[in-house]
Amino acid sequence: MAETVKLFVNGQEVEVESGKNLIDALKVVGIEIPHFCYHPALGADGNCRMCLVGIEDGRPPLVPACKTPVSEGLKVQLDAEKIRKIQHDVMELELINHPIDCPVCDQAGECALQDYYMTYDHQASRMRVPQVVKEKKLDFGCGVVHDQERCVLCARCVRFTRLITKTGELGIVNRSDEARVTVFPGRQLDNRYALNVVDLCPVGAMTSRDFRFKQRAWFLKRSPSICHGCSMGCNIFIDHNREKGGDDLIYRFRPRHNALVNGYFICDEGRLTYHQENEGRLATAMVDGKDSPLDQAIEMARRKLENARKPVFLLSPNCSLEQMLAIRALAESRKARLSGFSDAYIKNGDGDGWLIQDDKSANRAGLELLGIDTAREGFAQALEDADLLVNFNSMRIVPAAAELAGKIAGLTTIAISSHNGPLTRQAAVALPVSSYSEYGGMVINTNHILQRFAPAVIKNQPAPDMLDLLRQLGCTLTERTDLGKAMQQAIPALAGTDMSAFPAEGLNLKEKETDHVTA
Amino acid sequence: MSNRAHLTFTGKPFQFDAERDAEFEYLVKRYPTRESMILPALWLTQEQEGWVPGEAIAYIADRIGTFASQVYEAATFYTMYHLHPVGRNHICICRTLSCWLRGKQEIVDYLAGEIGIRPGEVSEDGRFSLEEVECLGHCGTAPVVQVNGEFHENMDVEKLKQLLAGLP
Repeated sequence: MAETVKLFVNGQEVEVESGKNLIDALKVVGIEIPHFCYHPALGADGNCRMCLVGIEDGRPPLVPACKTPVSEGLKVQLDAEKIRKIQHDVMELELINHPIDCPVCDQAGECALQDYYMTYDHQASRMRVPQVVKEKKLDFGCGVVHDQERCVLCARCVRFTRLITKTGELGIVNRSDEARVTVFPGRQLDNRYALNVVDLCPVGAMTSRDFRFKQRAWFLKRSPSICHGCSMGCNIFIDHNREKGGDDLIYRFRPRHNALVNGYFICDEGRLTYHQENEGRLATAMVDGKDSPLDQAIEMARRKLENARKPVFLLSPNCSLEQMLAIRALAESRKARLSGFSDAYIKNGDGDGWLIQDDKSANRAGLELLGIDTAREGFAQALEDADLLVNFNSMRIVPAAAELAGKIAGLTTIAISSHNGPLTRQAAVALPVSSYSEYGGMVINTNHILQRFAPAVIKNQPAPDMLDLLRQLGCTLTERTDLGKAMQQAIPALAGTDMSAFPAEGLNLKEKETDHVTA
Repeated sequence: MSNRAHLTFTGKPFQFDAERDAEFEYLVKRYPTRESMILPALWLTQEQEGWVPGEAIAYIADRIGTFASQVYEAATFYTMYHLHPVGRNHICICRTLSCWLRGKQEIVDYLAGEIGIRPGEVSEDGRFSLEEVECLGHCGTAPVVQVNGEFHENMDVEKLKQLLAGLP
């Protein structure tokens, strides 16, 4: 922890990080101060008044905690009668025109209004006049659907479009009880981060067309992971659930805070890549285009590999470092030429200098670090006299190398693949393999941040893990401990690092390792 | 206040005439930021057209270099901007606390029953338009009604009847 100060909360002394406001500083030590409008990425607006606290030093009776920095000896009051009264009153005001439609609201279960009602309010409505009727199901564009009646006017969404994306599509029009969030007619949400307003919304006013009505929030398991949509490696939660009688399916990705990588947000495109984890998967092994029992197909692949004189290995820039190390080891033992050719993953000019990168693969930096050639020439040359191509889950070859497609089509191919595609259909042997939501490993992002992620989804019939398949194909470097050692050899910054103390926010390989390793 | 979020579009492009254009350029120099021109530009529009069409809001935003949502906010917040053509006589009734407690609702209900206009509406013959507004600053003589910019204090339904009878 950085510098600390000691202060008193309800008479109890606590030690917290200095330089923060009361909400953030006390949250770290487990003390919640209720709030709607404050968000660390958007600053303290002070409009919701839910975070009012008492300070016993003669300043005005109540101050907003979001605008109050911690300081040495500060005496903070959170449980005084007058504060409970304020929280009670704010809740009553917020709920005057709220439709109380929790049973059909997507936010139920993760709604600040609902939670605070249970904690601070708990009263029947005293209103005897008709509610102000506002608009529902407003299409704001970019897949954002707005319900004006559920809104608490905290302006987080408005501030997001003005301060973060600087596109300013949202505003609060009218005033008093008629105030509402809307877009100017014809100027809807039009930015590549718009769905973040759904996460920012503390209540159910902003919903995602993609997610709404699909799943109740309390059924979802939230597994931390890394987005594989591009080379930024944004930190995400994979929200997934196995419904009774069904399979473990992903319902949404949400951003997970990491100051080193993505801050509080993710892009919409990456957010929606979860669909690809659910759909289009290679479900069964295939030999010559026909379904085959997995063990027979693996045996067939092993024999083909054994008999090949000039095999070429192509591996995906999305493979984890562990997979890359194992594939490289198998290539060495089989005298196979190894290529990480993957130009088709790069979409030139698509990056925006913030989170979205040109390179739509998660671990190209890993390929480079392990010295695996990614040049087209190397791959084309290797194919010239090859008699076998083993494709380790590289899904995109053809667009960037149409003239190679003919050559590949004429070759005997083993496709080890998480998804269906033209390359699996034309393969002599196709072996299904798990995808990144189902395995764990390490990837290096475009800014040389090494990150670790764990398995999230467990399918009813899990596809084999890449490392298991490699072991069955004769690879000797597939054990976790061996791979760990190989990784420490390959990455100097990892040498001597206790991997069980690997920092949660990742490791910057461009900085000295000592800056990050905790004692 | 009525819901002022539904803008009226004319279907024709909007721009300032030469006089307002010059006035805009003159005023813009007086402020530290161009955003400060939102309210003056809305006034100029209303001077020119008698009201503020949707197209003008987009025009002002682009001319200033700010978000349309921001001009939209200001135009809907301040009830003195007319977001549709108003009647020959524009009636504003204060809806804030003192006027509410002193019976403004009876006046609003009378207008709805007798003339058939609710806040935000224009009578069919174009003679009256009505808006409920926030505090007009005459709390001591509530309820207050403003007709064509002129204040009428300590109002009730009887006084309003007489007032309306004298209007063109």
